[in-house]
Amino acid sequence: MKVVIVGGGVSGSHTALTLLERGIEVELWDVGRAETAFPEPGVTFHNLKTRVADPVAYLLGADLRGLVPPAAPELLRYPPSRHFLASSDDPLDSFESDRFFPYASFAKGGLANGWGANALAYDQDDMSEWPVSFSDMEAAYRTVYNRIPVAGPVDDDLVPHLQGVYPSQSPVRLSAADQGLWQTYHRKRRALDGSGVKLGLARLAVITDPARKDACDYCDRCLWGCPRDSIYNPSVSTLKQCDASSAFRYVGGRMVLSLLTVENRIVGIRYLDTKSQELREESCDVVFLAAGALQTGGIFLRTLKSARADIAAETDGLMDTATVKIPFIALRRIGQPSDPRSFQFNRLIVGMVGHSPPWPRYLHGELLHLTGLLYHPLIERMPFDSRLSRRLFFALKSALGVVTFFFPDCITSGNRQVLLDQGGRWSKIGLRYEEPADKENYIRHSVSRMKSVLWRLGCVPKGIVRSPSGAGIHYAGTVPMGQGPKRCDATGRSNLFSNLYIADGAAFPSLPSKSITMSLAAHATRVARRADL
Amino acid sequence: MTRLLFPLWQPDERAYRAICAYLGITPRSSLYDRLAEYLANAPFRFTRPYGFSLFLARRRLTRFRIARLDIVTKLFLPDHPVRHVLNGVIALHECDGEGFREMAASPVGWRALVSMLGWALRFGLSVAVTIPWLACQFLLYVAGIPFRSKARVAGMRVLVTGVNRGLGLDLMLHCLEQGAEVIGTVRNRQSLEALEARLPVEAPAKLLITDLSQPGAFVHALREAKIQPESLAMSILSASVKHGGESEVSLNRLRDTFQVNCFAAAEFAAWLYAPGSAFIEGRSSEVSGALDLNPSPVTSGKRENRKAPMARALVLISSMGRWHGMPFACGYNASKAALSIWGESLDMELRQSQSQRFTVTIVEPGMFESGMTQQTPMTRYLFASRREVARRILAGALAGRRVIRPPFWFALLTWGVCLAGRDIRFRLFARTNPRRNQ
Repeated sequence: MKVVIVGGGVSGSHTALTLLERGIEVELWDVGRAETAFPEPGVTFHNLKTRVADPVAYLLGADLRGLVPPAAPELLRYPPSRHFLASSDDPLDSFESDRFFPYASFAKGGLANGWGANALAYDQDDMSEWPVSFSDMEAAYRTVYNRIPVAGPVDDDLVPHLQGVYPSQSPVRLSAADQGLWQTYHRKRRALDGSGVKLGLARLAVITDPARKDACDYCDRCLWGCPRDSIYNPSVSTLKQCDASSAFRYVGGRMVLSLLTVENRIVGIRYLDTKSQELREESCDVVFLAAGALQTGGIFLRTLKSARADIAAETDGLMDTATVKIPFIALRRIGQPSDPRSFQFNRLIVGMVGHSPPWPRYLHGELLHLTGLLYHPLIERMPFDSRLSRRLFFALKSALGVVTFFFPDCITSGNRQVLLDQGGRWSKIGLRYEEPADKENYIRHSVSRMKSVLWRLGCVPKGIVRSPSGAGIHYAGTVPMGQGPKRCDATGRSNLFSNLYIADGAAFPSLPSKSITMSLAAHATRVARRADL
Repeated sequence: MTRLLFPLWQPDERAYRAICAYLGITPRSSLYDRLAEYLANAPFRFTRPYGFSLFLARRRLTRFRIARLDIVTKLFLPDHPVRHVLNGVIALHECDGEGFREMAASPVGWRALVSMLGWALRFGLSVAVTIPWLACQFLLYVAGIPFRSKARVAGMRVLVTGVNRGLGLDLMLHCLEQGAEVIGTVRNRQSLEALEARLPVEAPAKLLITDLSQPGAFVHALREAKIQPESLAMSILSASVKHGGESEVSLNRLRDTFQVNCFAAAEFAAWLYAPGSAFIEGRSSEVSGALDLNPSPVTSGKRENRKAPMARALVLISSMGRWHGMPFACGYNASKAALSIWGESLDMELRQSQSQRFTVTIVEPGMFESGMTQQTPMTRYLFASRREVARRILAGALAGRRVIRPPFWFALLTWGVCLAGRDIRFRLFARTNPRRNQ
């Protein structure tokens, strides 16, 4: 029996590892581009500027595409020196949209090459619209937390709200600014009870155990690629575990376009050989789609068009978390020096707990004090001239922070992927997306609550920054669990094709606020365990 | 980088040093080159300024003006070129080890609070100076409105000949900066490759190789490139040749000069004004082809074409030299005289036919920095800059002016010399050194 897993990211690698544990031979097909090595391990972000040969090209790209222009909506761009993200002019890019701006990756490890490392699990309330309960998922979560070392606390105010999170290491070190805020929060905890806002230490898939040689050395370069591989990345962790098995075969250089079918069964795969640029077909017996919700939805639509012309070639859903940033100034930190070394991603998290139907009770936020970043977009955004903004920014830098909220999403009519018939070697996928109107009220209300809490913590919030749709990078719901031919059942098996499994976020029927990665791994693990092989 | 392509966006080194002094950082030539390279793409990536924003962008950046523009643009014009310049300088300096150390140096403890107070006072003072300055600038802008053309070249397709250097290059760059799509011609592959290497990849410029000294070659190149006459909103014929130092009885040189400077324009006009793509067959008969002055069915009777006379504008770059003879360079002056007279006659024909679809603009530039003039210490003070001449030509052509003579003081001087008599002209021009130039 030839079992093929499509995609080498978090979902694909955990599907593969679980099937290998079941004793099944698997092939994992992936485009599998490689990232270049990260320079100067141990050197901090700012010191890197004096160590690399051409720091401008390294930090902004040879063509300076990393330079954020004035009036641009973003506060930062993914480092141009990292090649795990595909640009919109990439020849493999398959998406078209004027309102939804997706990130795509063709690298080994997928988008997990650049994830924020926050490792949370969906609880029963998060999955209230799923045909799967938390208890169904719990065993898979435990497996995943055994596979992925997570640093976090065993006890803080968020533990009761973060079911299914099993930290195995001590939390990452807080910066001096974090500590100040953390202490203020504990002093005012009672007064903040009514707000429903709680602070906690971040649960992060990062190795902090100093006894390990891959432990985090706080070089402030998480976004620029961890040179010590301390942050979980399937390409250096799970896929390596898979490689150790003789039943595993990693096949790179293949971009799967569609599946070949005979009477509602998958019999083969049509793919692009990225080396020869030829379109090829190969037979198979079972397929697990784990290419990421957007790519999986695209493959499913192309398959649907050739197999069932009577069904409209558009998905039932398309979801992403809307991200909203609230910058703030912690007044007590003004004039304080910055930490010479720190963890670049967030060390604290925020939970906003409350009843706001139809959304889950828990709204996840990440609280970050600025450390190693490119600062020009922040300086440009300050409401003074550049001279004053530059001086003020560096005087206030250690006091500056940002709370980022990830707002949940649900399947809404109109938000979907559509197969476009525009010629070319393969059909492109249109992304139709609009933020649901009721979400705006939810966002406004939540932002207002958080701002009020920030004031009480001695911080001055300053405006909000909304990222464009698609910037949340938590894509889901393109082949969701539920009834109908364009959906899958609770085990991830397609309702239309009996030997096709949806092993990634495409199967999620709703998208909670909490970070998605551990749930992707848990879902893939559960699907692989229950697959009828 | 030896020369800037788009002065509206790219500050020169002097302006860069002024910006660094304003921001309190040390200028670095390596970072300046990066900045100039980044901003060379700006006209094709970012919103082009217009109106008052464009008026503010055109002035030279001094430290005083930077301070004023910084405040004004931050508050009211977030996409103004100066914002891209300041943002680019900060971004590049923060990526440099030394630059970052310099920028990030900041007072700590109570000194930080005292410093912030000082900065706030300085900012308040700067705002107080900026408000009246802005009012003055706005008044100047409003006062100039009646003298400025409202027509814009953005979105138009413009043909410019001889774009590898000199005025042709500046005309092309100015058109690109203003948002036009440019079809440029160069004489040979070497020039084309050199120009392609200089132009930003994103620039909407299509370059054609054509040797205008070959009869019919120009039109042949356009037809080969499948360019339709009606697709050209403006055609600027700036390529010319000057065989300095040649005797006036050197007939081959004289024929070559007339072919490039005058007959190529006539061939082009026959192609441009012919209906559709119809053109007289055979190279030998091209020049004798009669012009079709009837409005073509494509555009006839459309109100928008009457409102936009630039739809088929022909701009002929002649010379003030056309008014007088000159020893050892008469071929150039005579061909320019022929071009001016031919252009004027063509314009009369077009006007007689009451065709409002075509305009002919004759440009007779005087002293400006060109490859055909000698550079002397006085050049800087007497000559107009090529970019300024290019700007005036484009603005004049857009406004539908029939004759443009930049700088005008030189035209007055030329006419004065012409009236003074041949002996005086002889004494004056005998002192000029003949030199070869093409």
